[in-house]
Amino acid sequence: MLEFLKYIRGYLRIRVYGFSPERFMNLCSNKDILLWDIEQAGDGYVMCISLRSFYKLKNIARKTGTRVVIQERCGLPFFVPIMRKRWVFLAGLLMAVIFWYVSGWFVWDISVTGNYQITTDQMEAFLQEQNIREGMRKDDLNIGELEKEIRRNFAQVTWTSIRLDGTKLLISVKENDAPILQSTDGAQETEGTDLVAEFDGTIVSMVVRKGVPQVRIGDVVKEGTVLVDGKVPIYNEDATLREYILTDADADIVIEHTMSFRATLPLDYIEREYTGREKKQTFLRAGDGFEGKLPKERPYLMYDRVMKQSRPRFFEKLNIPVYWGSYTYREYQNVEHVYTSEEAESILNENLSLFLQTLEEKGVQIIEKDVKIDTSGSERILQGEFLVQEPAGKRAATDRGEETVEK
Amino acid sequence: MKNESNQKKSKLLESLQLPRDVCLGALRVTLTGSAEAWVENYRGLLEYSEQSILLQGKNCQVCFEGTGLTIDYYTNEDMKISGCIQNVRYL
Repeated sequence: MLEFLKYIRGYLRIRVYGFSPERFMNLCSNKDILLWDIEQAGDGYVMCISLRSFYKLKNIARKTGTRVVIQERCGLPFFVPIMRKRWVFLAGLLMAVIFWYVSGWFVWDISVTGNYQITTDQMEAFLQEQNIREGMRKDDLNIGELEKEIRRNFAQVTWTSIRLDGTKLLISVKENDAPILQSTDGAQETEGTDLVAEFDGTIVSMVVRKGVPQVRIGDVVKEGTVLVDGKVPIYNEDATLREYILTDADADIVIEHTMSFRATLPLDYIEREYTGREKKQTFLRAGDGFEGKLPKERPYLMYDRVMKQSRPRFFEKLNIPVYWGSYTYREYQNVEHVYTSEEAESILNENLSLFLQTLEEKGVQIIEKDVKIDTSGSERILQGEFLVQEPAGKRAATDRGEETVEK
Repeated sequence: MKNESNQKKSKLLESLQLPRDVCLGALRVTLTGSAEAWVENYRGLLEYSEQSILLQGKNCQVCFEGTGLTIDYYTNEDMKISGCIQNVRYL
C-alpha cells in the first residue's frame, strides 16, 4: 500500500555527494523529509525522496555543501506526460475499461436448465412476456418476483432458482414428475368435435365410446366423411328433439384401404473418395458478421471441411460471442460407380422394409401385398401395392347446426 | 555530581514505573536476528558506510558494524537498518 502511494505521488532516486552528506541526511530528517533505500555509492549516497520533498532540498544542499543529482524519476507524475504523447493508446485503454465496466451492467445470456415438460421455446416466450431478454439492465431484474411468476405460470414447476453469474442469468427449474390431477367436478366445456375419415376405404371395425356413429361396418367411406358425430341429440318423451349436447367424439375405427409405395434407384452413382490430403486453416469469428481466416484461399477444388471451434474462457465468462478454431479441409474426388442388379435390389428391399416397419409402428395391419421390381432401363423401380387395415378418425369441429346445449 | 543526579532520576523513574527511553531520551534499538535493526531516539547520523553506521544519541553513540549495511528509511523519529549486523557497540 505504501509503495502504491509512493508511486502515485511520484519519487526520485537521487545521488548526494560533497562535503557532508551525513549532515544532509540529518537535516532532511529534522525537516521531516522522508528518505528511504539509502545506499553508499562511491563518495556519496544514493537514496529515494518524494517529489514534493525534493523541492525543499535547495537550502539543505547549500548549507551542507553537497550536490544533489537526479538519477531516476519514478511514479505517476512522470508517467502521465509520457502518456500524453500516446493519448490514442490511453484513450483506447480508457474506453476498454469503460466498456468492460458498462457491459457488466447488463444481462448478456439467459440459460434455462431442468425443464423437460416445458420446452425452452415456451420458457423463452414467457420470459419475453415478462420483458426478460438478453441485453436488459441487471437493475431492472426482480429475481424474487420472476421466480414467483414462473411458479404461478407453469403449474408443473415445483421449485425455481434464479441467479446471476456475472452477466449470465441462470434459471433452474424443477418440474413435478407426478401427473397433475385435473379437477373432475362437473363436465368440461367443449365446442364438440367429430371424427372424420382421413382416406377412402371400407370400415372393418368400429367401437364407439362417445358420440353418434354415422357409418356402419362394411360401409365404403370417402375422405372427409363424418364417422362419429360429436353432436348428441336428446329427445323428449314424445320422441321430438329437445336439444343437442356437444361432446368430443371418441371411437376406435379401422378402415381397409389400398396404399402404394414406389422407390427408384439409378444404377450409376457418384461416391466421394478422399485423396488423404488435408490442410488446416485457422479462423477468428466475432458474432455472425466477422470472420477472419488464415490462410485466406481455399486449398483444393473439391473438398469438405471439419470445423473445430472453441471460445476463450475470458469471453465465455462475459458471454461475448468471440470464437476461434480451425477448419480442416479434406480433398476428395468424385468417382462414378455402377450398382449391380443384386446391390440395387437389396437397397430397394431395405427401403421397402423400412417403409413397412413405419407402417407397423403406426398400428397398420397389412392384409395383402404385391411388390414388383422393374429391371429394364438405367434405373431400378420398386412398385408396391398394399391392402391395409389402418386405424382412422381425425378430429374436426362439429357442425353446430341448430341451437345446442354444451355439455 | 552529574552521575548523582542521573542516579536520582533513575530511581525516581523506577519508582514511578515510567519508560526510560521517553524520560531519559535513551536510544532504543530493536534487533530482529542479525538482519534488521530499528533505532529510535537518536539525534543524528554521524557516519555511514556499508561496513558501519554510527549514530548519535542523547547521552551516547551507537555503532552498528557488519557487511552490506543499508538504511531502508530515515526519518526524524526512527530508522531501519538492514544487512548483516555483526556487532552493536555503545561508545
